[in-house]
Amino acid sequence: MNKGTFTFFVGPSVFIMLALMTLPLLASIVLGLHFITFRNLDEPLWVGLRNYEEVLADPEFWDSLEFTILFIIAAVPLRIVLGLLFALLLDQVTRFRGLFIAAALVPFVMTPVVGTLIFRDMFDRGGPYWYWMQQLFDYRMFMNSTTVPILIVFHSIWTATPFAMIVLFAGLQTLPQESLEAARVDGASWLRQLWHIAIPHLRSLFVFIALISIMDSYRVFDSVFVLTQQNPIYDAETIMYYNFQVAMSFGRLGKANAMSVLTVLGIFVVLIPFLVITYRDQVEES
Amino acid sequence: MTQTKSPMARIIIYIVLALFTIYNVLPFGWTIMNSVKLPKDANARTPRFVFSPTGENYADLWLNASPEDFAPYGLALILIIFALIVIGFSAPRIPAPNSLVYIGCIFAGVIVAIGLPRVVNTAEFYDYLINSVIVTLGTLCVSLSIGALAGYGLARFRHVVSVYILVIALAFRSLPSLALVLPFYYLGQLSGLYDTHILLIFCLVAVNQPFTIWMLRSFFMEIPREIEEAAMIDGAGRLRSFISVIVPIMWPGIITTGLFTLLLAYNDFLLARILTQINWTLPIGIAQFTGGEDPGHVTLAAAASVSTTLPILVVIIFFQKYLIRGLASGAVKG
Repeated sequence: MNKGTFTFFVGPSVFIMLALMTLPLLASIVLGLHFITFRNLDEPLWVGLRNYEEVLADPEFWDSLEFTILFIIAAVPLRIVLGLLFALLLDQVTRFRGLFIAAALVPFVMTPVVGTLIFRDMFDRGGPYWYWMQQLFDYRMFMNSTTVPILIVFHSIWTATPFAMIVLFAGLQTLPQESLEAARVDGASWLRQLWHIAIPHLRSLFVFIALISIMDSYRVFDSVFVLTQQNPIYDAETIMYYNFQVAMSFGRLGKANAMSVLTVLGIFVVLIPFLVITYRDQVEES
Repeated sequence: MTQTKSPMARIIIYIVLALFTIYNVLPFGWTIMNSVKLPKDANARTPRFVFSPTGENYADLWLNASPEDFAPYGLALILIIFALIVIGFSAPRIPAPNSLVYIGCIFAGVIVAIGLPRVVNTAEFYDYLINSVIVTLGTLCVSLSIGALAGYGLARFRHVVSVYILVIALAFRSLPSLALVLPFYYLGQLSGLYDTHILLIFCLVAVNQPFTIWMLRSFFMEIPREIEEAAMIDGAGRLRSFISVIVPIMWPGIITTGLFTLLLAYNDFLLARILTQINWTLPIGIAQFTGGEDPGHVTLAAAASVSTTLPILVVIIFFQKYLIRGLASGAVKG
């Protein structure tokens, strides 16, 4: 394929990405330097770096960042561990495997807003989980600033574990058969097979899932929106959610843009190793 | 790895997996139950698994008219949908070009969908559904067509430029979409495109494009070059050979990528929440049920949840194989 044909094929897509992603990002930087509310949309007021100063001095911004980081620390390892556990269990069975996988897809593909809503209903007064917790442990659950953040983590595990499970299960099916055969001949136990063959083989998948999960958790919005019911008393605002509020509830578009520029810079901390790995892989391949 | 032979261990494994399965689907099952309950059953202190079902919530959700008035139209609607599906599936046997039959079916479906609110007094939720369908299909068409071209180009052009494009696309994929949508909101307000389908579609296409080209490229890489080279020796150009030779054997890959695009566009909440005011999509329509103390909310929200989720679940279960393959392949390469 020559350069001309390549441009013809790739051109539309690259144009769309440049026009609809690069330009908005640049616009975001420019808008972040202005004071804009719903009232002065067409005549923004230049304020220089004042929005940035305001964001960095805003305690709620730091609270939401802290909560987001705690959320990532709580949710990501659990997703991977549970995903691996269920992938290993799935690897042990042959019957009903399709059924188990199909059921696991339900929380994964369900519209997040709906998924969160029905997940909350289970824990709300009169919901089955609420009732069983009360019957079995005599624990009456209330929605408060302790339980709602926990529910946000639980919900994210509920939806994301199937993803980790399917990816790792697919990885388990590609284990080098010779090494497994050799291990079997040597009488290595299942645990030793797992430790010496499976885990090293899956290492790149763990990295992949971890990076995807970190990036997705950093952006978590829908579940927070539904679980907190936009009520600040639950003290469970993630950075995307707070950023959204600054823009749409407080109407401070300039400040919100400044904040989203900062969040983009934040994600690059995680992203750069990912990009470097991918770049090396791709260059090797081609 | 070695499967255990111990019957005890096997039983425990099956029990754990069964519990996991119940845990995964129980909330949805509970919502289906809630959606056919009367408010007094749904708001009971102890969960009720046995109750007398009612269709009232669905009628309230979809109609402003009484269900009795709707019944004849509803029957007609079901018959029309059934007829269109039958015609669609038997297209090869109809003495007319296949594509003509499909286009006819789609056209008839569109007419029915647009005409229904003129005949029956449908509620707002119907408009949300139509908006969701328009936005999802629009995103699918634009995203897949330009994505397939780009994925093919990137798979065949072995040059460092391809790598740059892919890596930059990956960076775009990981950006918080809020950073993109706020400028979209601002520019939309200024240009008057705010609250239109077109703005939302293009925003979704942009957010989705990096993922689309990565995934389609990985599928195109699996196709041996010899196939289109043979076509090109026969005198077909690049584009001709792409459309008539590559695309037909690429359907599985396109379906897989399409499923992920479908999920992204249909499930999106944040973008639609910011870029629409009246032309809400289904997730926004549902979110209005999240607060409030009105006892009718629980059952109505349940009916809305089931109405929104059931179509997507049917599609996914139907194409499950493709989705899982996509998850597995994207991962193994990543």
